[in-house]
Amino acid sequence: MPTVEQRVKEVTARVLKLNPEDIKIEHDFMSDLGAESVQSIELMAMFEEEFGIEMDEDAALSVETIGGAIKFITMVCKEQGVDV
Amino acid sequence: MSEKKKLHPLVEVDEPNFITEAFDYDLPPLIRFDSPVVEYIDGEPVRFDPSGVKTRDIHITDTTFRDGQQARPPYTIDQMVRIYDLMARMSGPNRVIRQTEFFLYTRNDRETLDRCRAMGHSSPECTGWIRAIKGDFRLVKDAQLKETGILTSCSDYHIFSKLKIDRKMAMERYCDVVDAALAAGIRPRCHLEDITRADIDGFVLPFVERLMEMSEQVPDELKVKIRLCDTMGFGISYPGAELPRSIPKLIYKLNVECGVPGDRLEWHGHNDFHKVHTNGGTAWLYGCDAVNTTLFGFGERTGNPPLEAAIFEYIALKGDLCGIDTTAITELADYMRSIGLPIPANYPFVGKHFNTTRAGIHAGGLRQDERIYNIFNTTKLLGRPPRVIITNNSGADGVAIWVNEFFGLTGEDRLNKIKIHRLARWVMDQYEREGRITAIGDEELETKVEELMPEYWEKYKGSRE
Repeated sequence: MPTVEQRVKEVTARVLKLNPEDIKIEHDFMSDLGAESVQSIELMAMFEEEFGIEMDEDAALSVETIGGAIKFITMVCKEQGVDV
Repeated sequence: MSEKKKLHPLVEVDEPNFITEAFDYDLPPLIRFDSPVVEYIDGEPVRFDPSGVKTRDIHITDTTFRDGQQARPPYTIDQMVRIYDLMARMSGPNRVIRQTEFFLYTRNDRETLDRCRAMGHSSPECTGWIRAIKGDFRLVKDAQLKETGILTSCSDYHIFSKLKIDRKMAMERYCDVVDAALAAGIRPRCHLEDITRADIDGFVLPFVERLMEMSEQVPDELKVKIRLCDTMGFGISYPGAELPRSIPKLIYKLNVECGVPGDRLEWHGHNDFHKVHTNGGTAWLYGCDAVNTTLFGFGERTGNPPLEAAIFEYIALKGDLCGIDTTAITELADYMRSIGLPIPANYPFVGKHFNTTRAGIHAGGLRQDERIYNIFNTTKLLGRPPRVIITNNSGADGVAIWVNEFFGLTGEDRLNKIKIHRLARWVMDQYEREGRITAIGDEELETKVEELMPEYWEKYKGSRE
């Protein structure tokens, strides 16, 4: 089973039309990966779909980096009883 | 100026200060005064107490069916009766809309008057409007009205250039008609037409003094009222402005020097210089109890003080709804639109988009706390929740507000931006990929919601059948 990190990078690459290989854990969604306003929301929606979770909008949209997303999603999965 | 300079340190607080004593969300923002106003009149300082409006019997009068009707094709009788009925509901038990005036010249005029009075509303009281011609009194008497407006033009533009008479003849003619009214037991309300362009010392004050002398001979209910008609919208509210344009000085001269009490003074403005509403409020503050208005400001040329704006000004000055039913304003606007009266979309209080935002950043604020970008509780006072129009600037915040309004979702049920992402993407693509330059209408969005958010459509709307 792919790791949370791999899955986050796959989703990010799909939404932002990037190569997953080029995405680093320290990358900022907006300044490094070029995510625009609507894309940030699409990313969160795709993360919810990928992991089968519900995220708090404000908390989710305050996540800035790939590493932050991995940490946040892992926490939400744990809270909501989703195995990752 | 530099000697008055003082330091203003930042005051850090634990709780925000929303200044709720002035901005009670369930009322229009209150107009509060913390000092008297000093106006120099004939070189002497005169103090006015604007906060006196809280206890004075200020009120609104209406001329929708007279001046308002001069600006449009005539209303039908049924239309006028419906408007009058809604106006009465808005007025409330304190009779805030005290009077409305009618033409009396045609059979339709008289039938309208009869049907309005037959409804038995305590306000607005129906009054008449006639020319300064003795023969017109028959109309007032036949209609059994207690009060009528009489056109008594007072600028030399009107006396010399329109009526082709001199000041003495004008005064005699007007006083003859006033005498006839008093003899008939009808209270005359002298409309001092074009007062803001008149020779105040040379004609207006002598004329009003004579009217006050005539009033001394009659019972209170017949004493002459004075309507100050700012016929061309020349009136000025600013302290220090000179006569004849100064509203404070005009009212002071009539009120104090000529002895016309505030309850017999009425301001009638026009909007030629975009000053009409503030000028009406100014008249209230400086001692004139009545402000004459029309619904949605419709009136000769640029119109009159809007009645609905005066209503909110009244509440703001009084600090209380005073029994007024403000929701009737929305019903009146809907009714007016239904009979073909155009109301601009951005027109305050009733325009289709008066509390609609297009900017995504404003929509973001609205989503967090509607007070941020809504003037007051428009849902409660006008039955109009704040809305968004979807354009290229709406952002996901705007789309989320629109969807929640559309589904009627509140509180915890409201959908967040993540849930509406497909619709937000479609909106964005309309502008960025399709090159759209127009706003997206409600019907178009509804179709897209059904297509892109089928699970929510089914949950909240069911099937289209």
